Amino acid sequence: MTATVTTPAARRVSGVLSKKAVVPWLFLAPGLLLALVFKFWPMAKGIWLSFFDVQPFLGDQWIGLDNYTRVLTDHRFQDAIGHTLVLGIGQSVGAILLGFVLALLLEGQARSLKIIRTAVFLPAVTATAVVGELWRLMYYPTSDGLLNSGLHLLGLGPVQFLDNPDIALYSTVAMGIWIWAPYNMVILLAGLAGVDRSLYEAAAMDGVSLWQRLRYVTLPAIRPALMIVLTLATIRGLRVFTEVYVLTGGGPAGSTDVWMTRAYTLGFTRNDIGGASAASVVLLCVTLLLTVTVNYLRKRGDAR
Amino acid sequence: MRDRRRSRRPAALLVATALAFGTAACGSGSGSAGSDDPNTLEVWTRSNPDPAATYQRVFAAFTKKTGIRIDYQPVINFDQQLQSRASTKDLPDVMINDTALMGSYQGQGLLKPIDPASIAGHDQITDKTWSSTVGIDGKHYGIPYSRQAQTLMIRKDWLHKLGLKAPTTWQEMLSVAKAFATEDPDGDGKADTYGMVVPGSAQNGYAAWWGASFLWQGGAKIIEPDGKGTYRPAMDSAAAVNTVTWMKDNLFCGDNGVTQPGALTAVTSTATNFQDGNAGMYMTGPYNIATFDTTPGKDKYEVVPAPAGPAGGDVLADGENIYFGARTGKAKQEQALAAFLVSPEGQRLAMTGKHQPVVRIPVNSTLDAAKVRDDARWSVVQKAYEDSSQQFPNAPDFAPIKQDTADSLNAIFTYCGGDVRSQLGELNETLAGDLKDQDLLK
Repeated sequence: MTATVTTPAARRVSGVLSKKAVVPWLFLAPGLLLALVFKFWPMAKGIWLSFFDVQPFLGDQWIGLDNYTRVLTDHRFQDAIGHTLVLGIGQSVGAILLGFVLALLLEGQARSLKIIRTAVFLPAVTATAVVGELWRLMYYPTSDGLLNSGLHLLGLGPVQFLDNPDIALYSTVAMGIWIWAPYNMVILLAGLAGVDRSLYEAAAMDGVSLWQRLRYVTLPAIRPALMIVLTLATIRGLRVFTEVYVLTGGGPAGSTDVWMTRAYTLGFTRNDIGGASAASVVLLCVTLLLTVTVNYLRKRGDAR
Repeated sequence: MRDRRRSRRPAALLVATALAFGTAACGSGSGSAGSDDPNTLEVWTRSNPDPAATYQRVFAAFTKKTGIRIDYQPVINFDQQLQSRASTKDLPDVMINDTALMGSYQGQGLLKPIDPASIAGHDQITDKTWSSTVGIDGKHYGIPYSRQAQTLMIRKDWLHKLGLKAPTTWQEMLSVAKAFATEDPDGDGKADTYGMVVPGSAQNGYAAWWGASFLWQGGAKIIEPDGKGTYRPAMDSAAAVNTVTWMKDNLFCGDNGVTQPGALTAVTSTATNFQDGNAGMYMTGPYNIATFDTTPGKDKYEVVPAPAGPAGGDVLADGENIYFGARTGKAKQEQALAAFLVSPEGQRLAMTGKHQPVVRIPVNSTLDAAKVRDDARWSVVQKAYEDSSQQFPNAPDFAPIKQDTADSLNAIFTYCGGDVRSQLGELNETLAGDLKDQDLLK
């Protein structure tokens, strides 16, 4: 919309290149300013603090990379890396697959589909803390709990979904998939809407199987959407916090502790701001690295 | 749908008007009541809206009496907010928060030292209570405001139905818990009741907070002072091994139903089984009395001293202190506020009213909690605090020690096959590291 308004305006003052260059910046300025104050400045400060033993009133002490070595050699942080990977990958892959299936099922123009799509999308707009409480109830470890009463009917359980350290992490993954699948579905639906219908017709004429249709028509067509979903999921998976914090608090016995919950505990229950900053900077670097890699792979894929 | 929209319009109008007035009030108020005004104190408490209403009443009485205005901020996530305020080097003038955090705050230099003699009425606070605000350097860093000790809340209707009496020892407690779990005390014909409520998550150190009373009753200590200003970790003692083993075998890895389902990931806000009416015992602080009087109901439960272990019946005591933020120049006003808060009048105001009281056991020794509230159950709590309670050491920064202890206890209770002695040995080494970080290791 803005583009169509600015283009004629810019054309009228043709020749004044500088003005043309300034306009977008003017539009961006409020957002940039907010980002500067609330995002980049705190981020810079966090990076700065990660090199200190932080004691605001006694004077911060420069300790170089000590915070980093402490965080990286702490066995609980090392465990947390493993949990973060399991949770991040499990949640991302699960949510993308489920989101894709949902998108395929709910694609179309029918009115009833709109209602169902809205209903399916609800988890993505519900506050994660609320979802966490809800799932705590569903996971209730006796046959009174929703899931366990279902299992009870089948003569199974009750399963200690959250209190068994071998299961708790996967229970958290399941909740994550439930939350994020509809979000992915919406992006993938947008991708599916762009698929050339005539390709499907041609495929039908050629008598290809459903699998071949997916493999050779649908998937290549929604590649860009998939890449977006994948990038977002990667970032989200690494910095997962709320899901774990409200569902298990990192327990039992630290079996669901992820990188962010460790950093949170370090910063806010142990008041070690320097260490928590270092942990956050490590996470920032890893996230950046992964995002850049995914982007690189995407570009290379596009070029090919 | 249309009805709702119509009813929303006046509501929206009201909100808009309120906002307009609110901003106007702020605009005119900031001139006279800003934080730079020497006659206005910014006060923070860690409170939900309900207890905050009680604080508001107390501060209003103070302003009426002295003319000193209070800019009162109830803060729910107190620690996070305080840390971010500290990073801008602009602290509230007065803070009221947990006793166990004093060492942590002092270690970060957030607190002004306090001379007890500068607080009018300081002699009405007992020496034992005053001694709990001495920091690592021997100076006082807080003024006691409210105290509490854990007691056992127990369903008396269940006891009556099963023909049992309130337990006084660990063994009795265990058999009562098993009876509650298996003999259908609520008489609905279903096996849906549990013995006791345990907030056993490691989150925020709950397992250590709840488990501390058991440790002391079993003769164990988490860390102990050596009398020369340093400490040593003590979780590898035989008493600690025995106590933790007993807890693990009987409460967590024994028969089902002694503790509520999900105890290992429960924090106090999710451990609601006592008020939900499906668990019969809860060892906790007296702030829950108001809640439990509504559900399960005042006539359904009683407050009794915690059952004693092999080494006695000591329970965890804690409470709140008044702290003065470092580097603010309003000493006179702060002292006046503190004097009012610990005076009989201030304490009485904070113990009564229709909202949740913010003073549990008064620190002012001229008051009697049971008399002020006209409720005999409070004498059980007061007696527990005065005669058989211990506090977390508050001179060192106890936060990491509590957290590590909670992590370790939670892990021991989770993995039933582990070896308690070696696990506690590991905890002891971690605690030694925590003390060493603070230069407090003997």
